[in-house]
Amino acid sequence: MSTNNPHQGKKILVVDDEPHIVRVVALKMQNAGFVVETAADGEEAYETAIEFNPDIVITDFTMPFMTGLDLSITLKRDQRTAAIPVIMLTARGYGLSKDDLAKTNIKTVMSKPFGPRDLLATVIATLGGDQSNAELPGAKAA
Amino acid sequence: MNNGRSTMMLWIAATLGGAAAISFAMPMIRTALASMPPAAASAAEFLAIAAFCIASGVMLIKATARQVRTIAPRLMPEAVDGAAPTIRGDIVSGPIVRQLNTLASAWAESRNALQAQVQEVLIRHRVSEAEREHVEAILHSLRDAVIVTDGFDELSMANGQAADLLGFDLAKAQHASVDAILRDDTLRQLIKEVRSSAVAGKERRVEHIFQDNQGRAHSFDVTVACLPDSGTESGGVVTIMRDVTRDKEISQMKNDFVSQASHELRTPLASIRAYVEMLTEGEATDEESRQEFYSIIRTETDRVARMVDNMLNISRIEAGIVKAEYTDVNFAEVSREVVDMLTLQAQEKSIKLAVKCGPLVYNAAADRDMMTQVVMNLVSNGIKYTPDGGRVTVTIDNDDATRSVMVTVADTGLGVPPDALDKIFDKFFRIENYKRVAKGTGLGLNLVRHIVETVHSGKIGVTSEVGMGSKFWFTIPYEQDDSIA
Repeated sequence: MSTNNPHQGKKILVVDDEPHIVRVVALKMQNAGFVVETAADGEEAYETAIEFNPDIVITDFTMPFMTGLDLSITLKRDQRTAAIPVIMLTARGYGLSKDDLAKTNIKTVMSKPFGPRDLLATVIATLGGDQSNAELPGAKAA
Repeated sequence: MNNGRSTMMLWIAATLGGAAAISFAMPMIRTALASMPPAAASAAEFLAIAAFCIASGVMLIKATARQVRTIAPRLMPEAVDGAAPTIRGDIVSGPIVRQLNTLASAWAESRNALQAQVQEVLIRHRVSEAEREHVEAILHSLRDAVIVTDGFDELSMANGQAADLLGFDLAKAQHASVDAILRDDTLRQLIKEVRSSAVAGKERRVEHIFQDNQGRAHSFDVTVACLPDSGTESGGVVTIMRDVTRDKEISQMKNDFVSQASHELRTPLASIRAYVEMLTEGEATDEESRQEFYSIIRTETDRVARMVDNMLNISRIEAGIVKAEYTDVNFAEVSREVVDMLTLQAQEKSIKLAVKCGPLVYNAAADRDMMTQVVMNLVSNGIKYTPDGGRVTVTIDNDDATRSVMVTVADTGLGVPPDALDKIFDKFFRIENYKRVAKGTGLGLNLVRHIVETVHSGKIGVTSEVGMGSKFWFTIPYEQDDSIA
């Protein structure tokens, strides 16, 4: 399961207020060879990102205290976290606006329900190079 | 007017009659005077002629006047109801009377024609007035605001709704210019544009926002149509304004409901799909993990089912197709059962749960499952929005004044802000700041209200103080009308 991952050992921060989602995403990424930290809301995620310095962040959109979008904007504003790519998972059936995306480092927006395998492929693709949003699998960013 | 005319005719007749009398008497006077001396004859002739003339004239005038008087009343408007009667004159007045008869006949015909025309005009006027009143009655009965303007952009008709909406006095606005009575630039412009197009039947529809007297914005569907040209003047414009604020709100609520329902369903579905895939792809490496995944899938499936049930129940109650199964429900018993079920959840936050009631019987006719759902929802909310170490207490009372059982769920939690108290039972309403505190669909309290008020004809309410806690209460009447669905 981790054999096809060229980014083994890289760090992922998984953020969602649904414990079951955090659990399954974290497990999938760990099985693929990533080092995983988790957070249950945007504020906690930002603090964790400063300390953990992840290579990529997977976050939910709708969360208490700080939404996934606000988290992404905050990460982009902070020089320490500005370069961290973000993958957003959302149960909201709409894409984020270009203006929203321009303020963030969100590379891909994936709709819930999602397949862990697709998510892993998206993470690997995002970490793999300089691909634009449109070229990433499952990209729905407006 | 009529008296003056008849007097003038009498004078004409009298003068003609006098002249005729003189010419008739002159040969007899001349014969008598021929036998008298010249001087005396001259004076006497003069006097005799004068006296005779005067006497004859007076007689003739009187005779003629009598005849004319006979004719005159027949020339009066109140006497003419057909052709003028013919009157015979004597030898002297005959020609005059004949002339008068001809005049009277012509006069009578003229009057009759004129009177017929007047009658027709009066009838048309009455019909026109009746039609106008009919149209105005229709206009006033409409829910929509309607104004009708003429070819000069002046108000010719409007209803009370339009006067209220646009803020003009209906009694004083007749024939007033739209510039004078309409403050709304867009509407004025629209009316003038459509009127100037002068194409009968042409209409424009726009959606426009008006502020009411309280400053609230209302959405209106405005239709402005050009009226047909009557031929003598250019056609006007009818403007119909339909308040679609409520329609838009309902539409928005439905959209929100679908959007919210979709979002709420996607979350557990995401878990189910992810765990199923993990199992099928062998990501759960040991039996313990597999059992955990099965358990999560089952839990999330139940969650989806509950949500769908809630949504359907609300929809069914709103549609009036829910049938309650009434039994004699013991509310103390129901409350204790609910508290038992939620004890674990409360213990996680060190919250004390309690049921308080006296030794009386607290029974009412109700659907037991629905009552359990109501108490469960209120107590569960109390636990969710009460900080660790707090209390949630269920109190049951009988309210004999309203012949109802009253259940109160009091907590020591965050409380409901005053501006949210009115909306707390609305569908999908959630207190913005509290979304961070606990998850919810925004459907629970709405369903509770429907069960209590719509299904059981009870009452539900809340009193609260921010930071101090909330008291949610509901009452259920002792007896139910079985016909209530």
